[in-house]
Amino acid sequence: MGGLNASLLIASQALQTMQGAIGATSNNIANANTPGYTREVPQFTESPLSQNGNVVIGGGVNLTGLQSVRDQLLSLQIQNQTSLQSSADTQSSILQQVETNFTTTGGDITSALSAFSSSLVRLSANPLSSAVQQGVISSGQNLARAFNTTSNALTSAQAGADTQVTQTVAQINTLTKQIAQLNGQVAQLTAAGKDTGTTQDQRDELVQQLSKLTGLSVMQTSEGETITTGNGTPLVIGNQSFTLQTTTGGDGMQHVLDYGGNDITASIKEGQLGGSIELRDQVIPGFLTQLDSLASEFTTSFNAAQAQGFDSKGNAGQSFFSVPASGAAAGMSVTISDPALVAISSDGSEGSNGNVANLSAALTAPLPSGQSVSQAYAYLVDQVGTAASDAKTQSTAIGQNLLQLNNQQGSVSGVSIDEETTNLIRFQTAYQAAARVVSTIQQLNSVTINMIS
Amino acid sequence: MRVNPNMVPDVLAGLQQTQSAVNAALQEVSTGKSVTVPSDNPAASANMVQNTIAAKNVDQYTQNVSSVLSMVQTSDSALSSVVSSLTKAITLGVEGANGTTNADGKQAIATEVQGILASVVALANSSFQGSYLFGGTASGQAPYTADSTSASGYKYNGNNGVNSVAVGDNLSVQANIPGSQIFSNASNDVLGSLSSLVAALNSGNSAAIQSATNSISSALSFVSQQRVTYANAETQLNSQETYLQQETVSLTSQENSLVGVDMAKAATALAQAQTANSAALAAASKVLPTTLLNYLSPTQ
Repeated sequence: MGGLNASLLIASQALQTMQGAIGATSNNIANANTPGYTREVPQFTESPLSQNGNVVIGGGVNLTGLQSVRDQLLSLQIQNQTSLQSSADTQSSILQQVETNFTTTGGDITSALSAFSSSLVRLSANPLSSAVQQGVISSGQNLARAFNTTSNALTSAQAGADTQVTQTVAQINTLTKQIAQLNGQVAQLTAAGKDTGTTQDQRDELVQQLSKLTGLSVMQTSEGETITTGNGTPLVIGNQSFTLQTTTGGDGMQHVLDYGGNDITASIKEGQLGGSIELRDQVIPGFLTQLDSLASEFTTSFNAAQAQGFDSKGNAGQSFFSVPASGAAAGMSVTISDPALVAISSDGSEGSNGNVANLSAALTAPLPSGQSVSQAYAYLVDQVGTAASDAKTQSTAIGQNLLQLNNQQGSVSGVSIDEETTNLIRFQTAYQAAARVVSTIQQLNSVTINMIS
Repeated sequence: MRVNPNMVPDVLAGLQQTQSAVNAALQEVSTGKSVTVPSDNPAASANMVQNTIAAKNVDQYTQNVSSVLSMVQTSDSALSSVVSSLTKAITLGVEGANGTTNADGKQAIATEVQGILASVVALANSSFQGSYLFGGTASGQAPYTADSTSASGYKYNGNNGVNSVAVGDNLSVQANIPGSQIFSNASNDVLGSLSSLVAALNSGNSAAIQSATNSISSALSFVSQQRVTYANAETQLNSQETYLQQETVSLTSQENSLVGVDMAKAATALAQAQTANSAALAAASKVLPTTLLNYLSPTQ
């Protein structure tokens, strides 16, 4: 069928199509700054042709739908890197608090060790002075306190990481629930042949947030996305989410259980959760063990030196420090308070300084672990510093990667105002032209009608 | 190729980077330290543990040197007075042994020698900051007290111990000589020979006076020899003091190279960081607001 009516139909279709296209453009512009939004491109197709005798006439234009422009592979890479960065960030922020306890500020072990060491050197020249003897006791107490403080700082950082585990698991459960719902919606919309772009955007954004919390593995299946933790514990399958639980383990720490009640704490890697767990169960306990064995070995060695000599009353030296069997650094204390009980003398006479050399040697001689107390502590400082610096460096490096990946994703999916403005002009012009066609046909029709009258 | 239309993350990352560079440079300049927390430089922080302890010890060694030096000097000057006292006693002994001196004269000399004995005992009981110099390691009590049962009239309360004071990580200096070695040594008994001289003068026996004078004379040379120990200690302490001064300098310079800041470099770095930051800010202000809309007329 040809004729003016056919042209009128084509023009009105064009008007509708351009309205739809302008609507899509408007939506793109409106969502230009919406996180996770993927630009939508209107899909135009030619309508079926019609034949008038030997003449084939076009059928006009159809808006078949709006297509979200997304790159799944890029999304996966971004999720992966986000998990890594979030783990490094979590560790970095806690380690930055921890490492301040290892700087030379006055209350730290380095300062206390140096004061204790020099108080003994001073004692060597002034064995009779009770003020100097008192100085040894006070600086010994400061040293014990420095060990206590450092150990407590590590323990409270560990407790902080532990709290984070519980909080993160709760956040993960909230997110997986929402993702499962959206998965269901996507499946329904797809089945009904409707546009899933917006729902997918929302889901991708939530998965992105989830990847911050823990390392993920995401697969596209017939039921939608299947999300598992890095080691395969299911979190979301289709429209169903699987909650994680926490329970207090034998070590007093929060353990993560999967939906079946299996302890998966050790296998969780990356993300805020993986970072907290690694810090809590490996990094900090490593530091604490070193600190405890240092406190315990040093105490034993110093007490042995003390026992070699005699105090100012002529008695064999008593123990100077005491440490509990476990948590040595946290429980270290000075047992004597009377300055006269420092075992200064080597021959039992008041005035001899013969045992001071032994006391000093306890600070410089190798402990059973093979290093002197200052060397062993320096090693610990090095390790704490390296851990903090590694986490920082890693976070920065991954940050650069993520910036690149996000740039790539933006170049695929991001809304360009310039592009949308250009499209707006195109669609506006097309709309104006189609409208002109309608008015032209109206004129032609009135010419025909006037012919009759 | 389509480019990422959203420049905000890039611009922000750039701004953050330059801002953190400014912060870091500013911190270096204002604190004078390149390492404030261990993660700034783990190895340097670890080395600083040893450096801090060594520096504090060197400070105390330096104080020990000066206190031991005073102690040794006090001891030495006491011995120097002992030497002059003994010299005088010998002169008196020679005078007493002289046949021309009558019994009264000998009595008078005996009183004088008795006074010398008392002053030597007082010197033997010298103390420095509450600690007796010649009591061995039993320095808390006076080494010599009067004792009528003893041949010399004085008994030794000290012991034969010696204190060595730490003045370096591997160096200690002998700070005392026990009185039993200097004043009441069996072969060169200062106090014994003085009291023998008093007794001999009182008895008027010229031969005994002569013999007592001779033993004082040998004790004198023995005491003079003992002073060498103190002289050696002084020499050692003086050279250790110089060494410790150098050690302080080298520890300070080690600290500077570990955690210190080269001010010229740091100031330059700060200026560079500031320039970079200003440039990034200026670029951001030019780039961010621009879209095609800026160039289309509003009536279009």
